[in-house]
Amino acid sequence: MSEWFDFAIEHLPYVLQGIPTTLGLWASAMVIGAALGLVLAWARIYGSRPIYLAATIYVEIFRGTPMLVQMLFIYLGLPEIGIVFDPLTAAIIAIGLNTAAYQAEYFRGAVRSVPIGQMAAARALGMGQFQGFKNIILPQALRRVIPQWSNEAILELKYTSIAYAIGVTEITARAEKIGYETFQFFEVFLLIAAIYVVMTSVVAQVLLFVEKRVSVPGL
Amino acid sequence: MLLRVESIHKSYGDAEILKGVSFDMEPGQSKVIMGPSGTGKSTLLRCINHLTEPDKGHVFVDGEELTPKNLNAMRQKVAFVFQDFNLFTHLRAVDNVAIGPRKLRGFDKKAALDLAYQELDRVGLSDRADAYPAELSGGQQQRASIARALAMEPKLILFDEPTSALDPELTGEVVSVMNKLASEGMTMLVVSHEIGFARQAADEIIFMEGGKIIEQGPPSQIFEAPKQDRTRAFLNVIEHGGHE
Repeated sequence: MSEWFDFAIEHLPYVLQGIPTTLGLWASAMVIGAALGLVLAWARIYGSRPIYLAATIYVEIFRGTPMLVQMLFIYLGLPEIGIVFDPLTAAIIAIGLNTAAYQAEYFRGAVRSVPIGQMAAARALGMGQFQGFKNIILPQALRRVIPQWSNEAILELKYTSIAYAIGVTEITARAEKIGYETFQFFEVFLLIAAIYVVMTSVVAQVLLFVEKRVSVPGL
Repeated sequence: MLLRVESIHKSYGDAEILKGVSFDMEPGQSKVIMGPSGTGKSTLLRCINHLTEPDKGHVFVDGEELTPKNLNAMRQKVAFVFQDFNLFTHLRAVDNVAIGPRKLRGFDKKAALDLAYQELDRVGLSDRADAYPAELSGGQQQRASIARALAMEPKLILFDEPTSALDPELTGEVVSVMNKLASEGMTMLVVSHEIGFARQAADEIIFMEGGKIIEQGPPSQIFEAPKQDRTRAFLNVIEHGGHE
């Protein structure tokens, strides 16, 4: 055990240098996913038939294919038609587009769970549909969606590791490199697992804090 | 004339709920719509501000017809109080009242809150301003929702069975607020079987059955000398504590 600590302390700085990449990739992808997810949820609830269909097809495609395939397609496939991204950008786009499909479904469920009388009251007051959505429905739906959204956020934080497949030097890629240099794969992946657990636990606690902070009686 | 309702028709599938309903209201009048369940009273009320789209007919407020184009502006003149309150769950009582002036009438935050406190005071709820809807009793929620309607400074308030979701001991506080508003000259159209309000505050009772108005007149006439047998039979039931 103490040998593992020595190993960990020796290699920790190199691994930790990948944390800004991991967290930056994760945060950017979650923001893209949240913004696009909201638009998709809106489209699937209030959109006209073609808009509804387009959003539904999007969700089915991105939920129905592996994220690794999506990432490889964006990084290696798109250059063939002249669209080139560096590895980090490709990873952000892939994870962002993927999580958007899931977040859209969580948002949609949360919006649907707001009683119909809330929109009726907003409309009766003189709000348009979008105003009612923004001022009345969304604040309630977002509070209700936090537990599911937290799950998704933690899932995606771990999924940033597959960006290593297209050459992003986030923490998993760095761990693998140390492994091949030292041949201490057992120690290094134990170390990296510990780092992921710390990060996901912090994220879970922060989101739990937010959930409690914004909670409202009866919602 | 403040409100003109002209031959409203509404069907759901094969069921014709409203078969051509027309009436007028002058500013400051209170009218109560009564009648058996399923007779289209609430549907009529919802058709007036197009919460339910009428199939045929016209609604004029202050001489201007309600159309899909001016809907949001017109609804600010015609407030609506729901049977089940529909207070905004995520907002404190005072914010429920302030949000209309803030978002729709161009008030800044402070002015909207000031007005909201005033309106809550008017319905006797200033001490519960910071409470969320889930922390209020049914009667308090309904009074807060009346304050929310008042904060729009509407020309007319539509009340859709405002006391029927309340326990009997809580209806009194809502009815007394409504009586007070009527005496202050608010124009009110009320779907309710609340005899207390109808007798004390209504200028006219509109009695509906089967999607039509079958009798209308001042409360004295409707309650003491109804012309229609159906009206008499119905009033017998509700005045003797039965449920219709």
